[in-house]
Amino acid sequence: MLVNIAWRLFWRELHRGELWVIGFALFLAVGSVVSLSGITQSVNSALKQRSAQFSAADRVLRSSQPFDSEVITQAVAQNLKVSRQMQFDSMLFAGDKMQLATIKAVDDSYPLRGELQLNRSSVAGVGDAISTQPGEVYFEARLFDLLNLQVGDKVELGMSRLTVAGVITQEPDAPLSVFGGAPRVLMHLDDVAATEIVQPGSRIAYRYLFAGTEQQLSQFEELMQPQLNAHQRWQKLDNQSAIGGALQRAERFLLLSGLLGIVLAACAAAVAASRYSQRHTQSVAVIKALGATTRQIRLIYGGHLLLVVAFSLVCGIIAGQLAIEAAQFGIQYYLGDFRSAFSWRPIWLGSLTCLICAILFAARPMWRLAGTAAIEVLKNTTLKLELDKLQLLTGALAIWALMWLFSGEFLLSVGLFLLCALFAALLMSVAALLVKLAKPVAAGQSSARRLALANLRRRLWANSFQLITFSLAIFLTLLLYFLRAELIGQWQQQIPEGAPNQFLVNIAEPQRAVLNQFAAEHDLVTGQYYPVVRGRLVSVNDEQLQQEATKEQRSEQRVGIGRELNLTWLAQLPDNNQVVSGTWFDAKSSAQVSVESEIAQRLDIKLGDTLAFSIGGQQLSATVSSIRKVDWNSLQPNFYMILSPDVLADFPATYITAFYLQPEQNLLLNQLARLMPTVTVISVDNIIQQVNSIISQVTIALSFILLIICCAAALVLVAQVQATLEQREQELAILRTLGARHAFLRNALLLEFSLLGGLAGLFATVLAESMLFIVQQRAFDLPFTLHYTLWWLGPVLGIVLVTTLGWLQLKRLMRIPGAVLIRRVLQS
Amino acid sequence: MTTPEVHIKATNLAKSVKVADGSLTILHDISLTINRGESVAIVGASGSGKSTLLSLLAGLDTPSEGEVFLGRHPLHNLSEDKRAGIRAAEVGFVFQSFLLLPSLTALENVTLPAELAGIKDAKARGAALLQQVGLAARADFFPSQLSGGEQQRVAIARAFITQPAVLFADEPSANLDAQTGQKVEDLLFKLNKEQGTTLILVTHNAELAARCQRQYRMQAGRFVNKDNEGLADVG
Repeated sequence: MLVNIAWRLFWRELHRGELWVIGFALFLAVGSVVSLSGITQSVNSALKQRSAQFSAADRVLRSSQPFDSEVITQAVAQNLKVSRQMQFDSMLFAGDKMQLATIKAVDDSYPLRGELQLNRSSVAGVGDAISTQPGEVYFEARLFDLLNLQVGDKVELGMSRLTVAGVITQEPDAPLSVFGGAPRVLMHLDDVAATEIVQPGSRIAYRYLFAGTEQQLSQFEELMQPQLNAHQRWQKLDNQSAIGGALQRAERFLLLSGLLGIVLAACAAAVAASRYSQRHTQSVAVIKALGATTRQIRLIYGGHLLLVVAFSLVCGIIAGQLAIEAAQFGIQYYLGDFRSAFSWRPIWLGSLTCLICAILFAARPMWRLAGTAAIEVLKNTTLKLELDKLQLLTGALAIWALMWLFSGEFLLSVGLFLLCALFAALLMSVAALLVKLAKPVAAGQSSARRLALANLRRRLWANSFQLITFSLAIFLTLLLYFLRAELIGQWQQQIPEGAPNQFLVNIAEPQRAVLNQFAAEHDLVTGQYYPVVRGRLVSVNDEQLQQEATKEQRSEQRVGIGRELNLTWLAQLPDNNQVVSGTWFDAKSSAQVSVESEIAQRLDIKLGDTLAFSIGGQQLSATVSSIRKVDWNSLQPNFYMILSPDVLADFPATYITAFYLQPEQNLLLNQLARLMPTVTVISVDNIIQQVNSIISQVTIALSFILLIICCAAALVLVAQVQATLEQREQELAILRTLGARHAFLRNALLLEFSLLGGLAGLFATVLAESMLFIVQQRAFDLPFTLHYTLWWLGPVLGIVLVTTLGWLQLKRLMRIPGAVLIRRVLQS
Repeated sequence: MTTPEVHIKATNLAKSVKVADGSLTILHDISLTINRGESVAIVGASGSGKSTLLSLLAGLDTPSEGEVFLGRHPLHNLSEDKRAGIRAAEVGFVFQSFLLLPSLTALENVTLPAELAGIKDAKARGAALLQQVGLAARADFFPSQLSGGEQQRVAIARAFITQPAVLFADEPSANLDAQTGQKVEDLLFKLNKEQGTTLILVTHNAELAARCQRQYRMQAGRFVNKDNEGLADVG
């Protein structure tokens, strides 16, 4: 019986509006959480997979001890794919020539991720996906020249003689450093024993490569963790690249924006639920007078909320999953072999959000409704839009809980919440003050304006609340719009159109002219030539260093990379460098060095310190004249130490330069390799392409969030105006009775909404500019600039949005003939 | 001659409400006895306290002082939910402003109390009552589609569906024109007579009050009849 009553009332109430607003608000909340969480997860997982491609595996276990068959057995038991490799430095002999090289010995399964490209010639360029066979070695291109070898020649490595099979074109887990160490050689693992290089005490790096599903990998990692000995450790995936940085920013931004949208949606739900409850107060009093108990009322109206929640939850999850599917399809389209996996996390996160919003925002008014006393049936209760303190409290609690849930950081959530509360209190005070001040202003105005101001003043409390929510809604829309533009701008700036995608390393002085000519012939624009001299930092203020400072230490000391620093000298400060203390070189600078800030901090180097370098056995010293901050995310050659031009002028240097090569010109690389075999070409084209594809994904996601925020903002406005419908109906009826004309009432109404919208827009602008300042400074590390557009866009947006939405909802009311309106009010 | 059974008994009822500067007593020292099957009018000007008295007698509210019994139930001592149970089983209401649920049809409004009380043949009873009040053809109409008189007839049908032992009517014809009001009053008294219900009617309409067997006249929260419980008029 009760179910019948609940269902009947629910069904009939559907067309009244509030339940749709609650439902749509919850749907937005669930949909956005599911999709954002899922999309972020997908993009993250794409990043991991990309990192995996550059590590040739999903996980890498490094060891200085020979392979342990137990590790392999356990990995195989977890259904993981396993590959083993060894890496060591050794001399190669070819006739009377010899060269130190970094040897990597791999098995048949290598690589587990990414692609190994080898070319059965001595010229680098475009290679094929072939694997190494026992008895063969593949060289880095410059080794052919250094050892004076051709494909098919023999080379001696330890006690073995191996055939030179070709050149390494692309090695997935080669060190990313632009300045590799010794030339690289690839051989088969089966040949290592015969070389007899591996002796007790030899410095060999052993690596186990694993690949599998995330679940298998996590299980395996958990299993292995306690068993690891002092010689074994997991290699971290490379997440410190430009892509990693951009994505981390994007993820933070996506979650932040998502949360804001949810808070807005929750506000709309709360307002709609309040209105729903207020509108049903009398019905509940009647039902109670007819004999219903509080419990029965709770079941009836709780049932309504439950139905709305269930419906919104299901629809939200479906919509969210569809968005995730679409995003994954996009990622797959851009990144090729992206392996998407279903995850429950977005679903439970979305469900939890829905429950928090429903219980803490919408359930309270429903609960209050059930408490309506039967005696109310005899009282002519007028509708009041009063704020329930407990609801404010539960709503605030819900916002904080959501902040905590999404940020995962307790302190951050508390800080953010307090900041929001402070803003709300401030806004409310200012709003109340302004509305109060409207009284003297109203005097001497036209009667429509007086009525508008009087309306604003009379609903002071409700208007302050409306002003806050309107401001919040407009503020979020503005904030997101501007931040989105700035983020995308920043990313695009990082990789501008036509940014260099090919780096040339190891260019000898005489080759510069050849290269310039080659570039001119093929319309290529080479960038600046950076001279490079390799040397060691040996002391700081005559204090000998225990550990050499090398760039490679920063990324966990990659195996096979030399310990020398790449020293350069430049008269001009590079674009992506910023002097944080001291001054850059001038024409008179002599024996000076500019040090990168991170390494300066690590080695405790200060301005005025004297650094000694050892270059090819010669020692030189220079005084620290500046500390620089370097943007490591930029795809440009970066240096820890830049010396004043006078210091290194006499040392033989090689050069680095970069140029942009269009995809259809790719074959030029082969020509270039033939022309200058000793020059190493490092292509960052793939990285740039991937960054661009991820940027477009994130941009789509951001536009999607902007849409969600706009919808939520509109929903708040709709709910707010709906909440005053009955009251306005009564007032209109009274004014009509008193003879007010339609045009007068329309003008007063439009003016009231314009004032409210304009004020909300102005507040939103101030808030957005302050928040942009904070976010730019703190979260994204961007320089602050004033947003002039914001200052007119905010108020205009406020006026247009609030007035349009208000009018759209109330025009129906305005068109009702006066007599009908009066009858309706009298009957209610 | 059998002794009439006391149906409602109130002793020294008082009701105070909190106001900004203390409390205000809106009902003073009210005592009355109403027998089963009797029709009683409580009359008085607006603000005299008659609706407050009705709310106490019907168990919609509790007195600040005094006792009120509906049958054997001490309404003054019972919780809101216990009183709701008693209302569901024994009480019917007709309100001045009809108070139909706007989202339910005429028939659904009529069957609502029966459904709340768990009565199985609610729909059949409701249809029969709508027939009795002459609104069978309007069963599927929503309140907004009915005239004031029709709405009040639906409300009367709703009041009788649980066959209550006592019916409280608060100004049942005040919102209707004289002719419609007359019809509604006739209907109310007819059904009351047919079902043998105790009727307590609050009104400021002397003509309507005169149709009841007894009248209590109120002024400023007190009875103004002699002895505070006097029979004003036997109708």
